[in-house]
Amino acid sequence: MIPVSIRGLVVAASLLAAPAVLAQDITVNLVNEPSTLDPHQQWNPDSYYVYRNIFDNVVTRDDAGEIMPQIASDWTQLSDTEMVLKIRDDVTFHDGTPLTAEDVVFSVQRITNPDFGSPQLGQFNQITGASVSGDHQVTLTTDGAYPVLLAQLVKLSVVPKHVVEEVGDEAFNANPIGSGPYKFDSWNRGVEVTLSRNADYWGDAGPFEMAAFKAVPDASTRVANLRAGAADLIVSLDSDIARQLDGQAGVQVLTAPTERVAFMGINTIRPPFDDPQVRHAATMAIDREGIVQGILAGGEITADQMATPAHFGFVEGAEPIVYDPEEARRIVEETGAGKTPMQFATSPVYDQRIVQAIQQMLNDVGFDVEISMTDMSTYLQAARAPEKADRPFLSFGRWSCACQDVDGVQFPLLHSSSSWSRVEDSGLDALLETARASLDEGTRLDAYGEAQKIVHDNAYILPLYQAVALYGATEKLDWTPTANESLFLNRMNWSE
Amino acid sequence: MSVFLLQRLGQALVAIFGVMTLVFFIQRLTGDPTYLLVPETATQADIEAMRRTLGLDQPLVVQYANYLWDMLRFDFGTSYVQNVPVIDIIASRLPYTLQLAAGALFVAFVIGLPVGLALALWREKTAAKLLMGVVLGAQSMPTFWSGILMIMVFGVWLGWLPPSGSGSFAHMIMPSIALGLLSMATYARIARSALLDEMSKDYVRSARARGVGTGRLVRKHLIRNSLIPVISISALEISQLLAGAVIVETVFAWPGLGQLTVQSVQSRDFVVVQGIVLLGALVTISVNLLADILYSVVDPRIRKGGRA
Repeated sequence: MIPVSIRGLVVAASLLAAPAVLAQDITVNLVNEPSTLDPHQQWNPDSYYVYRNIFDNVVTRDDAGEIMPQIASDWTQLSDTEMVLKIRDDVTFHDGTPLTAEDVVFSVQRITNPDFGSPQLGQFNQITGASVSGDHQVTLTTDGAYPVLLAQLVKLSVVPKHVVEEVGDEAFNANPIGSGPYKFDSWNRGVEVTLSRNADYWGDAGPFEMAAFKAVPDASTRVANLRAGAADLIVSLDSDIARQLDGQAGVQVLTAPTERVAFMGINTIRPPFDDPQVRHAATMAIDREGIVQGILAGGEITADQMATPAHFGFVEGAEPIVYDPEEARRIVEETGAGKTPMQFATSPVYDQRIVQAIQQMLNDVGFDVEISMTDMSTYLQAARAPEKADRPFLSFGRWSCACQDVDGVQFPLLHSSSSWSRVEDSGLDALLETARASLDEGTRLDAYGEAQKIVHDNAYILPLYQAVALYGATEKLDWTPTANESLFLNRMNWSE
Repeated sequence: MSVFLLQRLGQALVAIFGVMTLVFFIQRLTGDPTYLLVPETATQADIEAMRRTLGLDQPLVVQYANYLWDMLRFDFGTSYVQNVPVIDIIASRLPYTLQLAAGALFVAFVIGLPVGLALALWREKTAAKLLMGVVLGAQSMPTFWSGILMIMVFGVWLGWLPPSGSGSFAHMIMPSIALGLLSMATYARIARSALLDEMSKDYVRSARARGVGTGRLVRKHLIRNSLIPVISISALEISQLLAGAVIVETVFAWPGLGQLTVQSVQSRDFVVVQGIVLLGALVTISVNLLADILYSVVDPRIRKGGRA
């Protein structure tokens, strides 16, 4: 009897000890499972949180946001339209084959091939050619000078040509082979994706033997998993949920300002908003501090320009946008702008607390704004209507180009040729074009400085705030989340 | 029997066709999905190209005919977002939904029927009133709340059960209870009223007069005779459970069809949503068909056309 109970104790003790042994592993709770693990297909966060650990990108950004070498160890701009990349020669894919310049060229050609139909095509369609131009050397050609190229290459994952060609797209997505710090292990559909450390990684693979990414759609459940020790890192918290974690033993809330700018779009073509005064009144009516502090309260930062400090082209010391409801009321009264009923077009995807607050604030100063809620598809159809005048009077959005360059925000939102824009200003167009087509950083910065003045003086759009990303993690995890909302496992550590 | 069956089968087919048509046209009413599928940076030309690829540039009638033809060949299409055949996606989730439905049904039956019986037999006693209160309480608790409560108590504070997820029997317990509690209350109340109904009938009185004891009466006659409404409710409950328990699956991170539905709606993966809706309709219709057949087995009057 006694030996049995001793054995029982040993078993019990080993069971209790088990979590400590497994501390080498990390469990991450995502919202949904990845849509694809093929890095050239979907790029929603739940997908790239995972596949950015399986694949290396051409270049990367360090925690401070600086562009750093990854697969390309060095790069030179040969001419306005040509960039030469030096490819590392010590990188192997998980199947043991060395990564070559051919693979880089293949990756560029694959993602830019319209027949492949990558949703990311729009980020890379300025690349017109890629060729092997020497040992471990690739030359990229762009359609005109393209200063954002390097910033886009941060997201271009290198896939193995021989594998993709052999197994085809569907099988590659089900069983991805990359060169990154983690190897793909298994994908239990709807449940989890598991990765294991790539012992042969050319760089630092990080401290975890294994990583599991689980789909947990409900935020409260993610928090419960974290508190119960069933998860080490959880994503997508809102400020209410994050507050529940504050002060709990063993857990921490991690916050990172993102490159996402929230804004109120104004149709500057449609009366009464064709009058700059009226647009100013609309911007003066909005208490952005109140929205950030009172509604969001997650550490968001009010923005005075359509850019964040994480963007190239951010204008230091841009003139602040004033909040002056009295003055706004006076203008609305004087111009009679309140007589035109206006629709605030939106869809359930957007944070309705903010939409309603904005509507209220506008109506408080005398505008006649009603919310027009439609499904996302109808909303987008209106927002991108062929005629600018048919695009919504007012809208709320949160824009990210995932490129940390002002070009990716302001060109689509403000240049008259864009299908999102509700602005016609040839002066502004010229500045945005200059900044888009020049490789000289000084010229670009100057152009964005000028553009910012024009946008501010004409109240073409109302920047609201810089969004933040909130994560929950066990206290033991040492990690600095960054503006580009990536989860690089090899940049995390256990703090013990 | 066979005429009755054929009749029911014909009705089921008409219903399925109706659902397919409805799904198709309602989906078209929600607008053009192309805008949702192209990236923000897409030009008008890209949008046109995508529309052609998806076949959305064709006249509605042609699209409808193509759709029916695909359905006839059981081709549910390929997910817009995941690039995987819809049938594979649904097949990967179905086992989880079946597991959870079975667990919930077990909880509902094993607790619900005896509770209903007790409610009927003790209907005058305080215990029955208390029990009824508990049943009503269980039915009224919203799952997103009772589910989280269970997770906090058993998963976080006590640490007895895994707080969420799937993979073991322990994972199944909380979601099954959360989902089963709702149906449990329904079963208890239906069983109670059906039993009470039967107990007031003449044959029961004469049986009692002949000296048949309560236990025997319940076992031999009452339970069997009060099963008809329980079966009809089961048909409804099962089809509901199989269509996916959206909230329970979401709260417990249970990878069934309900969660897939939410995920697909959020990512605007219309082809998948359409597949799930069709599957749900198929299940509902077939379960009802099955219930019709079961009625006729349990109650010969229906089979013989007396009440059909």
